[in-house]
Amino acid sequence: MKPLERYWFGDVALARPYLVLRFVLGLLAFDTWLNMMPHGSKYGVGAFNVAHFPWFDTFVPSSAFYLGVLAFTGVLALSQALYRPHRIAIVLIAAGYTLGWSCSLLDSVPYHYLLSLYLLCFVFFPMLSARAAFSRSDRAPRGSVAAYVLFCVTTAIMYFYVAAWSAAEGQSYWLPMACCVAYLIASMQDRAELPALRMAAPLLAAAPVAFHLLAPQQGWLPIYMIGIALVVFAPTQWLHSFGRTLTRPARRLVEERSEGGIDERASQVFYLSLLGLVVAPMVSMFVDMPGVKTGCTLTAIAMLFVMGRQLYFTPRWRPLWRVASLFGGCLALWITVTASNARFDYYHEGAVDADRRGDHDAAMMFREKADRYAP
Amino acid sequence: MLIAAFVALQFLIPLTYLTREDAADERFTWRSLDPPAAPSCETSASLERFDGQSEAISVEKLIHQDWVDYVGQGRRAVVDAFLRKQCEAEGVMQVELVNRCDGERGTRAYNLRCGGERAHETVRTATR
Repeated sequence: MKPLERYWFGDVALARPYLVLRFVLGLLAFDTWLNMMPHGSKYGVGAFNVAHFPWFDTFVPSSAFYLGVLAFTGVLALSQALYRPHRIAIVLIAAGYTLGWSCSLLDSVPYHYLLSLYLLCFVFFPMLSARAAFSRSDRAPRGSVAAYVLFCVTTAIMYFYVAAWSAAEGQSYWLPMACCVAYLIASMQDRAELPALRMAAPLLAAAPVAFHLLAPQQGWLPIYMIGIALVVFAPTQWLHSFGRTLTRPARRLVEERSEGGIDERASQVFYLSLLGLVVAPMVSMFVDMPGVKTGCTLTAIAMLFVMGRQLYFTPRWRPLWRVASLFGGCLALWITVTASNARFDYYHEGAVDADRRGDHDAAMMFREKADRYAP
Repeated sequence: MLIAAFVALQFLIPLTYLTREDAADERFTWRSLDPPAAPSCETSASLERFDGQSEAISVEKLIHQDWVDYVGQGRRAVVDAFLRKQCEAEGVMQVELVNRCDGERGTRAYNLRCGGERAHETVRTATR
């Protein structure tokens, strides 16, 4: 293998792509619900909008559209973090999330673009089960995962430009540049032929952790980046042990021995799964925000599409676990929205803006709901 | 090949900032991970009808405060879209938007003759 091929296609510990994928998807779900949904009332006001890309310019997203897209993306993301991800679902999450921020300049948070790039990398990640990523033995499974290397390079490019623009403005640039170099070499640390790098790599985590603790940043970017750094730079054995502990209950419950053929359980699983797909989105009725019901219903349809033939032709419990993960996603959305200020903020922001514009009917409607959900 | 294209694209997109007409537009460039402080500007707008009548437009009453902030910052895409939107009303010949800002930006006027795509920008005064 040529050096460049070795760089992209060399072995990495499978625990890393497994944990990075789930960490980002899980955090993304709560990020959309807690940080993006409260600003949904801005959308559609005065039928005015400018999108990030010109091909969207004639489209004016309404509040319901925006919240629906976020509910869809968040629930699907969390369901994929909870149970073995499916490539089609990741494609839908990437499309939904990118549509969510790109449909309007109202969302100009820089890291939302980074997350879209990450989701694009995730589409090509191996869809690993807990058993595949964390074997029963003490040896951490390794494999070639070019998309994970691409994920690290994507992160390195972001730091490179942060450093380059800082340098151009005469500011200190060594810390983001150290992050860039760290991410470029981190993906090589699991290779047997580079033991020295394996020893040194965990120390490199200090650079991104320090950068994200010190530099001013918007939203949850520091949480994402510190979490990612801990997974990318952690010693393989630590990560393997952590992953095994984390996934032990799931492996016991979910991973069953492979059984061939269709047995009598198939029809029970089929009807139970269908029932679950119908009932899960109903949880969103209690959320009381426009578009959320539609978003959750679309997630159930997407899940049906993801399961496809598996729904009927597998005798295993896998479809039920997928539906359970959808249930988990819908429940988490409901609990998050009701337990936080997200819903109040949405209606309160809407009321304040409607008052400012002199739209008293809308202001009254928003205020009524804001009063109902006031903390 | 796909990997190379994806990496190349990621390298090239931030460089497009160097060719952007609107320096305030820092999207996809990683120039800052925190949104830059917006200059404090006072925005006013007016339209002129074909019958020669002039009318003031209350920007704050028409669009969300975030769009008002964008217009106040002189984000060209938003200013142009706002002026085009005002041209959609019947009998409007041209629309003008003026941003009076503190500091270096001074006073900037954007004038759009309805039917056109881009407003003409004039820097009237600068306190530099």
